[in-house]
Amino acid sequence: MLAKEKMKNKYLLTVTRDLLDVKVKNLNFLFPIEGYSVGFQDVFKISEIKKEDAYLYINRLLDKESIISLKEELKYLKPNIVGICFNDLGMIRIAKELNLQVKLIYMNNHNTTNKASINAYLEDVDSALISTDITEEEMTIILNEAKKPLVLPCFGLVEVMCSRRHLLTNFQTEFGLDLKNEQVLFENNSKNAFRVVENEYGTVFYKDKYIDYRHIHHENILFYYINGLHLSKENLEKIVKNEKIENTETGFLNQKTYYRLKEMNECKK
Amino acid sequence: MQKVELLAPAGDLEKLKFAYLYGADAVYCSGKRFGLRANANNFTLEEIKEATKIAHDLNKKIYITVNIIFHEEELEGLEEYLLNLSEIGVDAIIASDIYVIKKAKSLNCSFEVHISTQASVLNKEAALFYKDLGVTRIVLAREASLIDIEDIKNETGLELECFIHGAMCTSFSGRCVLSNYCTNRDSNRGGCAQICRWTFDYPESEVPFSMTPKDLNLVEYISDMIKVGVNSFKVEGRMRGIYYIATVILVYRRLIDKINEDKLTHQEVNYYLSILNRCANRESTPQFINKLPTHEEQYFLGRDEVSNQDFLGMVLDYEEETKLVTLEQRNYFEIGTEVEFFGPKIETFSYKVNKIYNEKMEEIEVANHPQMIIKLKINQKVNKYDMMRLKVFDKQNFL
Repeated sequence: MLAKEKMKNKYLLTVTRDLLDVKVKNLNFLFPIEGYSVGFQDVFKISEIKKEDAYLYINRLLDKESIISLKEELKYLKPNIVGICFNDLGMIRIAKELNLQVKLIYMNNHNTTNKASINAYLEDVDSALISTDITEEEMTIILNEAKKPLVLPCFGLVEVMCSRRHLLTNFQTEFGLDLKNEQVLFENNSKNAFRVVENEYGTVFYKDKYIDYRHIHHENILFYYINGLHLSKENLEKIVKNEKIENTETGFLNQKTYYRLKEMNECKK
Repeated sequence: MQKVELLAPAGDLEKLKFAYLYGADAVYCSGKRFGLRANANNFTLEEIKEATKIAHDLNKKIYITVNIIFHEEELEGLEEYLLNLSEIGVDAIIASDIYVIKKAKSLNCSFEVHISTQASVLNKEAALFYKDLGVTRIVLAREASLIDIEDIKNETGLELECFIHGAMCTSFSGRCVLSNYCTNRDSNRGGCAQICRWTFDYPESEVPFSMTPKDLNLVEYISDMIKVGVNSFKVEGRMRGIYYIATVILVYRRLIDKINEDKLTHQEVNYYLSILNRCANRESTPQFINKLPTHEEQYFLGRDEVSNQDFLGMVLDYEEETKLVTLEQRNYFEIGTEVEFFGPKIETFSYKVNKIYNEKMEEIEVANHPQMIIKLKINQKVNKYDMMRLKVFDKQNFL
């Protein structure tokens, strides 16, 4: 129980400038990095990060040019940077090549969906984010069986889609609309709203409701992950105090997805 | 110039046979489980066995997609399935889940492992990560530019496979679960409902938001891609019919062969582009190969898609003495219709229908019943499984 309580307070927060001075204990900041992050307007140069025990968030899929420039930037990493959360598996080799003494956390929200795959990734990284595409039962299996402590999605907007295209700009250009790099779109059939954020490196669709997994606790958790995008300081404080927040959902925790139409139809009967 | 592979999709055995016949060097298909086209017919293990025999008898290759992202419940049965594929002797599996790669290696499976485009590999470091796991080929992300491709080839020595034709995801492959949220169908396990083809309400605009990409078409870049070392040219479309497979594969077969013989002209490229665009019913563009796509590479307000009934008939037989071709009708045609015959062993030629006979050799005015057997008299020899289509483009006009 003590271990659980202790672990429960270890949060990893994707930070925005508005949240930089938030007073929360046992909080590590995860900084979306300029040039290497997608889905964020508020990005940081590595050189401007002064927080202790900070993590870099590199969630772009990297191309030839960005690999070259990233290696240059990482050569001069200061000791206050203790970890890198990444999406592109090329990062593992880059970290080895540069002999980076940091924690590597694999953060691809869509392919860490079973214990065997996660354990396979854990042979090369220190931790991995568990996918939000699975049920709570599946998460528990993964947490029970993972060889290393994992990062559990705890609260915040969830990335639903990532494109290299400038989807907002393209639409706005086609119809002569004002150029905006953030917009909420509404899908009528499913009644879903999506927050769409575009930057130079592409476009990310987020579900425009916060997932709230705060009830899940497990001893095999390295961090409880909070996406700070569109999160106020007040709400962040409420999160850690376990107070109620509006506009939340539990995602797929209690809702299994299907992939064969036959199975879906049987499920509906 | 290096020998390159033309790789075709096959949703079932019939399509597989047509793909090989029309010039594919290799085919990719899926078993009943673990593939990303869960609602296609797909292949039983017995059919994979038969398909592998067909492929190897023709000295061609067959790859099986095992490229879903696994949830706990799918892990059961994977080991047995991989061992079955190994025993059958398929040439490779196409995987994206790291566990599948490691499992195949630990089981000492006889096949090679190719990394699926679902893994969205865009750089040499990611490619080398997979190489260290024993992967021999990377199916690159469709977002890779020619510069990226060249760098990966030079720095890794891995075989590279690139999509050259067909539908595009709006997202990086493997990084979209819109379908899960909007329909509860898991896109990364083969249930994608193609939400990126839907429209969304956009505040301050009466026009709905849409983001559908036009199709991919790299006809004009095949030569450059061969030069930078691409080993395999892949056509998308396991859900497509035999006419599409035959048309697209034959166009790329001829294109690659002409490049190898250094005989490809700009005019021929334009002709091939017209044929391909007509066949798919959709516009296509080179997408990411030379630049970041803009609004011009997308559809808005729905697709500019016009259905056509160009596929008129399949050749079943040709009698050289009587010059009679027997056809199975696929779409309406009549006396006076201008048609073209095309096939793997003939040069495409035009013909104006002047008489149509039924099976009893009675003259008829129209061929209007699907799959009815009809006969035409033509002077040029055709072969079984050649196809007859509506003549839309005259090659002479492109020369």
